[in-house]
Amino acid sequence: MMRLSYPLRVQKGGKMVEEKIVCIGCPLGCRTTLKIGGRGEVLKVLGYKCNQGRQYVLEEYRNPVRIFTATIRTEKSPRPLLPVRTNRPILKSKLKEATLTLVRVKAKPPVKVGQVILSNLLNSGVDVVATDDLFPYPTLTLKGEGGVGVKECTI
Amino acid sequence: MKRSDIDVAVIGSGPAGMAAAIRAKEEGAEHVLILERQEQLGGLLHQCVHNGFGLFYFEQDLTGPEYGHRFAEKVKDLGIQVLLETMVTQISPDRQISAVNNREGVLRLKPKSIVLAMGCRERSRGQLNVPGTRPAGIFTAGTAQRFVNVEGWIPGRKVVILGSGDIGMIMARRLTLEGVEVKAVVEILPYIGGLTRNEVQCLHDFRIPLLLEHTVTEIHGQQRLEAVTIAKVNKDKKPVNDTGQMIECDTLLLSVGLIPENELSRMAGVALDPLTGGPVVDQWRETNVSGIFAGGNVVHVHDLVDDVSREAEIAGTWAARFAKKEEAEKEKKILKPGRNIRYVVPQTISAQHDVTLYARVKDMEENVTLKVGDIFSESLRVVKPGEMLKIHLSHSQLRQLKDDAVELSVEGAKRRQNG
Repeated sequence: MMRLSYPLRVQKGGKMVEEKIVCIGCPLGCRTTLKIGGRGEVLKVLGYKCNQGRQYVLEEYRNPVRIFTATIRTEKSPRPLLPVRTNRPILKSKLKEATLTLVRVKAKPPVKVGQVILSNLLNSGVDVVATDDLFPYPTLTLKGEGGVGVKECTI
Repeated sequence: MKRSDIDVAVIGSGPAGMAAAIRAKEEGAEHVLILERQEQLGGLLHQCVHNGFGLFYFEQDLTGPEYGHRFAEKVKDLGIQVLLETMVTQISPDRQISAVNNREGVLRLKPKSIVLAMGCRERSRGQLNVPGTRPAGIFTAGTAQRFVNVEGWIPGRKVVILGSGDIGMIMARRLTLEGVEVKAVVEILPYIGGLTRNEVQCLHDFRIPLLLEHTVTEIHGQQRLEAVTIAKVNKDKKPVNDTGQMIECDTLLLSVGLIPENELSRMAGVALDPLTGGPVVDQWRETNVSGIFAGGNVVHVHDLVDDVSREAEIAGTWAARFAKKEEAEKEKKILKPGRNIRYVVPQTISAQHDVTLYARVKDMEENVTLKVGDIFSESLRVVKPGEMLKIHLSHSQLRQLKDDAVELSVEGAKRRQNG
């Protein structure tokens, strides 16, 4: 019922023959088509307008990777969530599985930016690290200024 | 620091406010104060847990919190004063600031200069006039982002997103990964509102349907949203008869544009540009009110956080110089938006120093020439409203300017119908 305007894999007899990839190298956003052979090899790239674009779509076809970002639950912290990321890109096909893995992980303060939260995510050799500090409970520090309280910044 | 001898006061501590404060301090302003209404520095960066921040500024691919953290550390290291949970309620044309917090009550400050860095906010349902009932389950994309990324709530189970702004697309990905079914992203224009990068990495990666030239024509449900009707639109963006289809959903997210937040600017007598929704600024990001500067999304809505910080640094630099009574020369030439240009910032330039212009086009066009009067021209393969143009002009080019006004325009193109 719904017209899909995302790139499609065109298949014939169970075998992929075409893949459409949009180049993200520049605002042009070329919509390229890759002709795929019987062993999954790229026979031809159509629709690109520069050589970097061609290289990008070939790499995106062979090895599509993404930085994975998410949030995990916390314990004993005023913030219910801690934002995290992978320190290196992972295969884009693993993003969903990666999210499910993190459901069971909880962060306990203190946590510093860049601290490893989970090592070797899905045996990929990539670590999940914190992208923000996590403090136990806020500390109210009084700074001299006629008894005026200034809360420590907690970012 | 006595409250009476503040050199530069910065309103807001997002990527603009922190960058402006840091630059002001580095420029020699002794007493720099940031006023922030939230309980921490960083503004909206906390809820933007995705990556793509700082690619230009730090030449690294950072997430929002990481980007904010770097600036916040520097704010601390430089000894910039910060007042958190403090809401600025008024700024007067003579640069008096009224603010309020629950520790000191009402504060009155008289800084030597002010940087406005309040950022922007989202357009909401009230500004769209979508017909139908008023059930629960309709959020702006940014509100949903805060729920999911900061507070730990999922707004619903079946989601339709209206508008293809960057936050909407990013939320489509985020919600999909959290197990929510994103039924469609619906965009009234023939092309997406956000960056191509986000279309690919947020929609294509998860096979989320993108419906261009469609809009939501009715909202159904009494207590909670039950469905929306979407329909195709014609060239005038009016729904076409008999193209309506109902999509069952319990949540509708709106990602339909951002508006610079300028209530305080108005109180201070700052003139606003109806095209940007932000203050009219000169090359040094000074507004028409002497000593009040502005930078970041409060001036105009940027695509990239890197540009927000860079622009705010200009404001911070000159706010510090103003506080030291070093004023920039006032010879001003006016920049006017010409053919297919929606707006250009800054609105006036000195024509004595190098300047970077930020501009946005009205319509997507291919194979065009971008022109600034007769002093600059550049061939571009494509221009899109969703991707800001940056034009660097050197002082030697600017010296060739003869008139007091110069027009920025996009010329010679065949108009593209479908994105």
